[in-house]
Amino acid sequence: MTTESAGSARARLELARDLAREVRREQRAAWFPLLVFGVITLIAIPVTRAGHAAGLVCRGNLAPGEHGVRVCVAHNSAAFVYWPVALIAAYVLIAFFYLRLARARGVGTRVRPYVVVGLVLACVTIAASIWASHRVLSGGYDFAGWHLQGPDLYRLIAPACAIGLALLVLAAVDRSVVLGAVALVFLVIAIGRPDFGWSIRQTSRWAFAPHLVIEAAVLLLASAGFALVQLQHRRARRRPV
Amino acid sequence: MSGHPVNGLDDVVHQRVRLGILAVAHEARQVEFGYLRTRLELTGGNLSQHLATLENAGLVTITKGYEGKRPRTWVSLTKAGRRGLREEVTRLKRVIDQIEQANPSA
Repeated sequence: MTTESAGSARARLELARDLAREVRREQRAAWFPLLVFGVITLIAIPVTRAGHAAGLVCRGNLAPGEHGVRVCVAHNSAAFVYWPVALIAAYVLIAFFYLRLARARGVGTRVRPYVVVGLVLACVTIAASIWASHRVLSGGYDFAGWHLQGPDLYRLIAPACAIGLALLVLAAVDRSVVLGAVALVFLVIAIGRPDFGWSIRQTSRWAFAPHLVIEAAVLLLASAGFALVQLQHRRARRRPV
Repeated sequence: MSGHPVNGLDDVVHQRVRLGILAVAHEARQVEFGYLRTRLELTGGNLSQHLATLENAGLVTITKGYEGKRPRTWVSLTKAGRRGLREEVTRLKRVIDQIEQANPSA
């Protein structure tokens, strides 16, 4: 009798776990945020190309005849406006899509923390960009035990970093290890900025493009992969046993 | 309540279909009647009876509404429902542990 009880208890626990796992599969739609972020990253290429250098700020005033280093930076006028609008529009679109999908499938959604964190990250990125546009970030900076160089800071406050962090939150919400791995790879690319041997000379107005193309490609490929897996899963479920 | 953990199992929650409803509603936050019927392979009448039992026990709330012109019924867990599910899972694990300790070959 006791053996029967153990089997029955185990069967009930497995039933509850299987049903919960199935619900999680129904709720997942990571391909959509990846697609949206991939598309806005691609659109950023012509937008950035159309912009011009604005808000020039310099550090290190040199008197006439004096030798030394003077660092000047400027931001791209079009990208400066485009990214805040694109990021916020992306989160609104993603929230709307998840809600519609959840209603259509008959289950609720856990997307709220993702959208809230995403919007907060977008606002922090915007605020940091505005702050950085008024000064030259060169030399070293110490933050909570981390030593960062000026160029590292520009990468950390870049929109790609906000996208990567938001994807990490989505991975936690979806409890998806694969999405977590994709988010980490994307963050490494966003911060490390590898060019995989593809670079355009710095004097060209397209010099920025390879990084955006690489970031967009990672997001779009990941989106296609997730969409394919989800499609296969849905087909398998429809197939008679 | 002492002795074998089987004695502590709540019949309302322990029943196979109702445990399934609670597990789905917990994961989904709220779940539509049609989803439950399909997933648990029940008839509408059978599912309604189980939902009524859970609602009477204060474990779920049932909300009726419309999605466009289609009537929809949504089920969500109450605080007591979440607690009931958590306790049931804990008790089931204890049942398994105790039996396995008493009879390792089982």
